[in-house]
Amino acid sequence: MIRFVLTRLLRAVMTIFAVVTFAFVVLRMSGDPAQVMLGPDVPQDAVDAFRKAWGLDQPLWVQYLAYIKSIFSGDFGVSMRDKVSALQLVLERIPATLQLTLPALLLKLLIGIPAGVYAALHRQSFADRGVILLAIFGFTIPSFVMGLLLVLIFSVILGVLPSGGQDTWMHSILPTITMSIGGIGILARFSRSAMIEVMGQPYIRTASAKGLKWSDVVWGHALPNAAVPIVTIVGFMVGSLIAGAVVVESIFSWPGIGRLLVVSVTNRDLAVVQCILLMIAATMVISNLVVDLLYGWLDPRLRAQTAH
Amino acid sequence: MLSITRRSALGLMGATAGSLIMPRMAFSQGKRPSVTIAVQKITNNNTLDIWNEQSNVGERVFFPNFWEGLILRDWMGSQGPVPGLATEWKRIDDKTLELKLRQGVKFHNGDELTSDDVVFSFSAQRLFGDTQPAGGKTIFADEHKPTTAKELPASVPGIGRRLWPALAGVEAVDKYTVRFHNATPDVTLEGRLYAFGSQIANRRAWDEAATYADWARKPVTTGPYMVGEYKPDVSLTLVAFDEYWGGRPPLEEIRFVEVPEVSSRVNGLLSGEYDFACDLPPDQIGAVRAASGFEVQGSTILNHRISVFNVQNPVLADPLVRRAMTHSIDRQAIVDALWAGQTVIPDGLQFSSYGDMFIKDWKAPEYNPQLAQDLLKQAGYKGDPIPFRLLNNYYTNQTANGQVMVEMWKQVGLNVQIEMKENWGQIHDPSGVKGVRDWSASANINDPVTPMVAQFGPNSEVQQKKDWTNAEANELSVVLETSTDPALRKKAFARMLEICEREDPVYQVLHQNAVFTGMKSSLKWKAAPAFAMDFRASNWTM
Repeated sequence: MIRFVLTRLLRAVMTIFAVVTFAFVVLRMSGDPAQVMLGPDVPQDAVDAFRKAWGLDQPLWVQYLAYIKSIFSGDFGVSMRDKVSALQLVLERIPATLQLTLPALLLKLLIGIPAGVYAALHRQSFADRGVILLAIFGFTIPSFVMGLLLVLIFSVILGVLPSGGQDTWMHSILPTITMSIGGIGILARFSRSAMIEVMGQPYIRTASAKGLKWSDVVWGHALPNAAVPIVTIVGFMVGSLIAGAVVVESIFSWPGIGRLLVVSVTNRDLAVVQCILLMIAATMVISNLVVDLLYGWLDPRLRAQTAH
Repeated sequence: MLSITRRSALGLMGATAGSLIMPRMAFSQGKRPSVTIAVQKITNNNTLDIWNEQSNVGERVFFPNFWEGLILRDWMGSQGPVPGLATEWKRIDDKTLELKLRQGVKFHNGDELTSDDVVFSFSAQRLFGDTQPAGGKTIFADEHKPTTAKELPASVPGIGRRLWPALAGVEAVDKYTVRFHNATPDVTLEGRLYAFGSQIANRRAWDEAATYADWARKPVTTGPYMVGEYKPDVSLTLVAFDEYWGGRPPLEEIRFVEVPEVSSRVNGLLSGEYDFACDLPPDQIGAVRAASGFEVQGSTILNHRISVFNVQNPVLADPLVRRAMTHSIDRQAIVDALWAGQTVIPDGLQFSSYGDMFIKDWKAPEYNPQLAQDLLKQAGYKGDPIPFRLLNNYYTNQTANGQVMVEMWKQVGLNVQIEMKENWGQIHDPSGVKGVRDWSASANINDPVTPMVAQFGPNSEVQQKKDWTNAEANELSVVLETSTDPALRKKAFARMLEICEREDPVYQVLHQNAVFTGMKSSLKWKAAPAFAMDFRASNWTM
């Protein structure tokens, strides 16, 4: 088990390192941050002075070594736009993003999984077809279309909910719903498929034949065995808690990490983009690590394979 | 038993009427309305410093509600100069301008405006760093690097010297009199004083701020509104400054909220959340106008859309090819199709606000495909590709405009190929072959030095980046900048137009830019022909 955990930890560190390096190189190869930050009309002297002040006139490898050295000492750099620590800027925005993504994740879990399980247990029924239809509807409509549609209905026509901003808790309703609809559809679909597959297994027939209550068969035998693919999907959703709100935050003018990422990429605010990407990569990697560990807990066969 | 006499009844009625009327009177003198304005961007650089945030979006949040200069721009009228923090001014000589300050003007922190604040606003500490006026040492020597948090951003002195290339210094003659000393003769000193950047900051607020960033988030000025709260990338709230020298501001608060998506701005306006939705593209005008209770205001602004040629490109080195490109474009068709006829084609790179310096018989290149084909034949053009580095709608309708132009060029046999770019860094990337690119040109002061000399003269970005140069145009730029003879200056400008638009084209004008704002029809407010939004008492009726 220790070897299993260490192997995955090593992979996680290498993944984060690869993301950091990739982001560093791509950001610097895709446009001069000085020119982007200062705009089209500033004199060349100002652009040159900006480059020098931020060390952008140094060779790329020198900048890279300095960056790696600084992140190992916990320094994620300073924002070129705001002149404050990039880490501070990112940390300030995380609560706003979690204010949307956590309730959205909860909605996905509380609606998506039960809906999928219910559809699987009532296969070919009207309810099953309804769940499939709504699930397809949910995950095929892009969030920017869904967001605008909800705003049109609930803000413009009915006038019951605000269309954007973060002033009150009411402002979070539409973006949270927009973020959760796609995930609900995906989870419902996966839960249904997984449950249908499990329900056809011989051990389910055996459990039923030996007189177990139907609810015990479903909760005690079917669901744990169907959980592995569901946990995989949930793992991705947890991993994207920080990164998953770029489009929705833009539509609803929500000041979270997604907006910060878009603005920072547009302005080539290198330290902030790198800090966000590092954080997203770390969240995703940790989430995947937890999922890997959960596999072992959910399915003893995987533990046994690793032990050998 | 209650006894009511005629006297007590009259008294009761009077008291009742008073209780009904008085609160409303008190309300009308106290509580004022507030407005919420949805904008695409509040500022680009997350500061409220006029020298750091030299952008169209900055103009909107700064003027005329927040920053004020010695001379103000007449935003709602001619765009010309009107007295501001200075009540009068006179020329001492070709290089010196003296101004009398308005007395009794208060800053937001309660300080009185004095000549000391004016000197500070144009000082090395606040603006010019270690730069020297024209003729001195090179702007920004290599050793310049910020060493303390209070030190200016590296870009500010360079931007400052662009507007004030030869300002030697500002002298405090007495508490209410200042003199601007220029190193060279300059007839545009007054114009430079009401241009974007020359506004006055409070010295004490600068001294008290721990860092430049702290100061730039909440500068102390003399405007009718002061910074209440600024959340970068989210919102900016300006609150009324009741000691404003121009009288009590009509609004309690002006709240700018950043709503990047145009559809979200329109939806927020229609749902009643915002009072104004700015930066509407022309294709959204109909949707807002069709809704009951809403209207769209807008007009052309002092900014022309242009495209710029790079003569390092072997094909474009021949001016005949560039001329052919300028004659291939049906500008009116573009204005009709993409702008719904809501803007105009300018008379070359000039503005009617130039007054006597306006060249009346000058026009944009005529649309003449036959002439374009003849020119290409003379040039021996064989269909070699010409790259067109294009940003995705940095300017309104930019991508569609670019695609239309490429098709128009194709009609006369020009092989122009679009290369989509993500940012200005990629547009100016010296590696690879350049060809055509988009740009815009603004009249910051009502004189041809802007944009002609500023954007195409010897120290312009175009020449610094080696897109183009012309010896005669450079000599004429010096005449425009330093001569005090109006006739000579006008002749020089006319000749520059001939060179830059016909003989050796460096750019072609496309159309004048326009700005559109959706708003509630119930608001008694008028849009200025600019990005600036005037919320002073003179432009707001209760």
